[in-house]
Amino acid sequence: MDGDDETSGPMIDEIYANGGGDDGEKRSRRAIMSGDQLDIEAYAALYSGRTKIMRLLFIADKMSNAGTQLEALRMAYDEIKKGENTQLFREVVQKIDGRLGPNYAMDAAWCDAVDRRAEQKKEKLENELNAYRTNLIKESIRMGYNDFGDFYYAHGQLGEAFKNYVRTRDYCTTSKHIIHMCMNAILVSIEMGQFPHVTSYVSKAEQAPEALDAVIVAKLRCAAGLANLEAKKYKLAARKFLETGPELGHHYNEVIAQQDVATYGGLCALATFDRAELKAIIDNSNFRNFLELVPEVRELINDFYSSHYASCLEYLGNLKANLLLDIHLHDHVETLYDQIRHKALIQYTHPFVSVDLNMMANAFKTTVAGLEKELEALITDNQIQARIDSHNKILYARHADQRNATFQRVLETGMQFDRDARSMLLRSNLIKHDFNLRALRKL
Amino acid sequence: MDFSAVRAALDSKSYDKIADLCDNLMLQVAAEGIAFQDDWPYAIHLLSHIYIHDINSARFLWKSIPSSIKESQPEVTAAWRIGQNLWLRDYAGVHEAIRGFDWSQDLQGLVASFSELYTKEMFQLLLSAYSTISIRDTALFLGMNEDDATNYVLRQGWTVDPASQMLIVKKHAVVTEQKLDHSKLQRLTEYVFHLEH
Amino acid sequence: MDPLEALVAQIQGLSSTSGDINRLHSVLKQADESLRSESTRLSPILSQLDPSIHSLGFLYILEASMPAPVTRTQAETVVPIVTRFIGACSTEQIRLAPEKFLSVCRKLKDQVMLLEAPIRGVAPLFTALRKLQVSAEHLTPLHSDFLLLCLLAKCYKTGLSLLEDDVFEVDQPRDLFLYCYYGGMICIGQKQFQKALDLLHNVVTAPMSTISAIAVEAYKKYILVSLVRHGQFATSLPKYSSSAAQRNLKNFCQPYVDLANSYGTGKIGELEAYVQANAEKFESDNNLGLVKQVVSSMYKRNIQRLTQTYLTLSLQDIANTVQLNSPKEAEMHVLQMIQDGEIHATINQKDGMVRFLEDPEQYKTCEMIEHIDSSIQRIMALSRKLTAMDEQISCDQLYLSKAGRERQRYDFDDFDVPQKFNI
Repeated sequence: MDGDDETSGPMIDEIYANGGGDDGEKRSRRAIMSGDQLDIEAYAALYSGRTKIMRLLFIADKMSNAGTQLEALRMAYDEIKKGENTQLFREVVQKIDGRLGPNYAMDAAWCDAVDRRAEQKKEKLENELNAYRTNLIKESIRMGYNDFGDFYYAHGQLGEAFKNYVRTRDYCTTSKHIIHMCMNAILVSIEMGQFPHVTSYVSKAEQAPEALDAVIVAKLRCAAGLANLEAKKYKLAARKFLETGPELGHHYNEVIAQQDVATYGGLCALATFDRAELKAIIDNSNFRNFLELVPEVRELINDFYSSHYASCLEYLGNLKANLLLDIHLHDHVETLYDQIRHKALIQYTHPFVSVDLNMMANAFKTTVAGLEKELEALITDNQIQARIDSHNKILYARHADQRNATFQRVLETGMQFDRDARSMLLRSNLIKHDFNLRALRKL
Repeated sequence: MDFSAVRAALDSKSYDKIADLCDNLMLQVAAEGIAFQDDWPYAIHLLSHIYIHDINSARFLWKSIPSSIKESQPEVTAAWRIGQNLWLRDYAGVHEAIRGFDWSQDLQGLVASFSELYTKEMFQLLLSAYSTISIRDTALFLGMNEDDATNYVLRQGWTVDPASQMLIVKKHAVVTEQKLDHSKLQRLTEYVFHLEH
Repeated sequence: MDPLEALVAQIQGLSSTSGDINRLHSVLKQADESLRSESTRLSPILSQLDPSIHSLGFLYILEASMPAPVTRTQAETVVPIVTRFIGACSTEQIRLAPEKFLSVCRKLKDQVMLLEAPIRGVAPLFTALRKLQVSAEHLTPLHSDFLLLCLLAKCYKTGLSLLEDDVFEVDQPRDLFLYCYYGGMICIGQKQFQKALDLLHNVVTAPMSTISAIAVEAYKKYILVSLVRHGQFATSLPKYSSSAAQRNLKNFCQPYVDLANSYGTGKIGELEAYVQANAEKFESDNNLGLVKQVVSSMYKRNIQRLTQTYLTLSLQDIANTVQLNSPKEAEMHVLQMIQDGEIHATINQKDGMVRFLEDPEQYKTCEMIEHIDSSIQRIMALSRKLTAMDEQISCDQLYLSKAGRERQRYDFDDFDVPQKFNI
């Protein structure tokens, strides 16, 4: 392996060590890894409110293991029963389908009672709101709509809840009210999966004239991060999660846990950031606090940065099953993983004049043939400037000859101009003589 | 029909001129309304296209030949067989097609000259396209037996790899003219002038 | 005296000075009607005239004597007379009556086709169009007739020699369409795909208000030749194309657009299956041969792609990747491509490997400098031409009044040199 002296000197040994088989350090690290099955109880404890239920139901849907599936459904059942959403209750009962015994069967009496109480409450709220409206007391009207929003949200009518929260806007008198409205709108929009709304209410909240409370700022960053993640704008998503302040704490558990900030932010950053930007993450004491909560992610970012790709990929491999159970991340796991792997391949080859493919395959836990195909795709895509010596299994960096390339381009441009100019002259002559078909038809 | 120009070109071995002569003559006699087909020297005409590597023209000429002539004049068909093998890139087949017919007096010189030319070209192709090649393939490309082919390439500096019995190709450095005269500088000045105005 | 005999006498007497000839021309114009009514009596008169001296008179009488539908026997007599006239006639005289001359030439074309001997018309039409042409840049209506005869007579090389001229001056769009379409076919036959592409491009991007059959057929071939030449096809036409073409052309050529899409996947199996399934359509368009060349070009394209990625690759791997049956078949493909200069590589039979090389061209030889130099000269000439035309149009009264009225229809874009080429 010939190192390119100036840029890569210090890295060679590391790659050797990494590619050359397991060393002691790596074995000791394995102990921290939690590629094991998800501890649902611990996971659910991170969340509150509707998202807790939805996450449990999501896991139950994705799980093939019947035991875990039922466990998730059982916890969802318990959680729903604390609330007032009979619609959701009926769904979960149907999903359990009697498999958890009589304690987790349909409770028609509970449903009726809840629904009846809801009817009464709705009537009461309507009366109150009507009274406020006749008296034109702004603040009371705002509260009235807000109560309605809360009411609908609790009963799972998200569309109605959103409408009522947004209606409070006309009756806001302080920027605090505005922010309150925005936070409610954001929460409901996230639950509805309406992420464009999330983006617009985040920016509305950020435009508030007064300095925002640090907790609010942190929440807004998270919401913006989620919206960008859903929109596949991974780099923006990474930035938002990285900007999230430690004030977040457990305050946004109805949407996101601190662990999620670390995982979402870490993976998006790994997939899209260059080396300098990655270094900034590692040095970012703020984000490091989040990373401490998910040591696997912290380790894999460190591994990636210090070019321990095999270990990094191993962590990723172990995490994958659990990430696929995440309500927000699951759709993006494959894309992010592919991008991270591509980046690792590119970064690995970057400093070298030549790379031994056997060693590289080893480092990336793949076969030489498989690696050739991956490299082929990246070279074709012009992401790696190199060519594969498949005979000797070596990758050689390719330094384009600027002078020749320029000559080639000049000649091509010349020919193109020649062609364009001639056909242009012809076309303009056709028009000039006014002999195109349209004119002929008029004659 | 006056074939004296064609005859003269054949006699002076200016084989590369014959295709144009034949093409023009054919258009001329056709315009004069002469029924030329039965007396037309199709074999020479075909070979003259082949000689200058204009296989497309040879192919179109072949397509325009009346089938009665294709049937009655075996030499015409034999000439096309060379073209056909060139068209199909059956490198060895070209040599076989050359050897596989007893060419008439008129054509012997042209065919022999083409054969020599083709062998040289095949050698150049092997030279540029191979770093090692089997003796058998070399013989096929050059249209020789294995001993003759080996001797032929050894004289050009190739060597035999004793382990694999393969021929190792010796590349020649290409010499190109790189000197420029003053008129080019003059031109350059004009271009700059053009760009600025 | 018989009016015909009088006319002959006038022709004989008024064929020397240009003043005489102009007088003769007006006499002939007046006599045209009566000549037609006596068309059957005209043939013997021609023998009293010398086509090289009495060209104008000869032309009028010849034209009037040629009946529209002819029998083969009639054609056998007429064709030699017309051929001799075209060869002998005076350029100045026939240019006085280009319509008559065109009509005679067209009839010659029809008659040699009737005689199933298109080759008999090739040389005469070439002479005729050169005599009619004011300059080599001028596209005459005879260009397309000549190319058609070349195609039918399989004289592709002869046809190609005409296509070396750059034509700019066009009288009728139809002349240009047919010239470019037949020219494209000739270039395809001679495997000059870039030139074919340029010609067909002119047809599909020409100003048109409705889609003509020629444009549709040209577009089909344009798609196929793009694939053979460049391995890709951009479905959207350039913005200077007529909106009719941009909107509708694709809809008439769906099997071809689908073929291009299938080609884009790079999978030879899919492409072959598609061609197989649609062979009849391509066959009925007379494009099956070209479609087959599209298919085989994909092998080349896929091998070329490998040269961008690999320095060395085994013949076996090449065969696997581009789906050839054996390493030997892969070797033959690589060899052909080396022979044609499409890739730079050396084959190592001993190890069954191919080493792909960089283009050895260093752009240092005198030959290359000459080539670049001549390109620059050519482009300078073209850009001067563009400027001249731009000025000419900007001063054209008709254009200015039109441009003022309908600024949008005559967008300046059609005339301006594209920004990126601002030399």
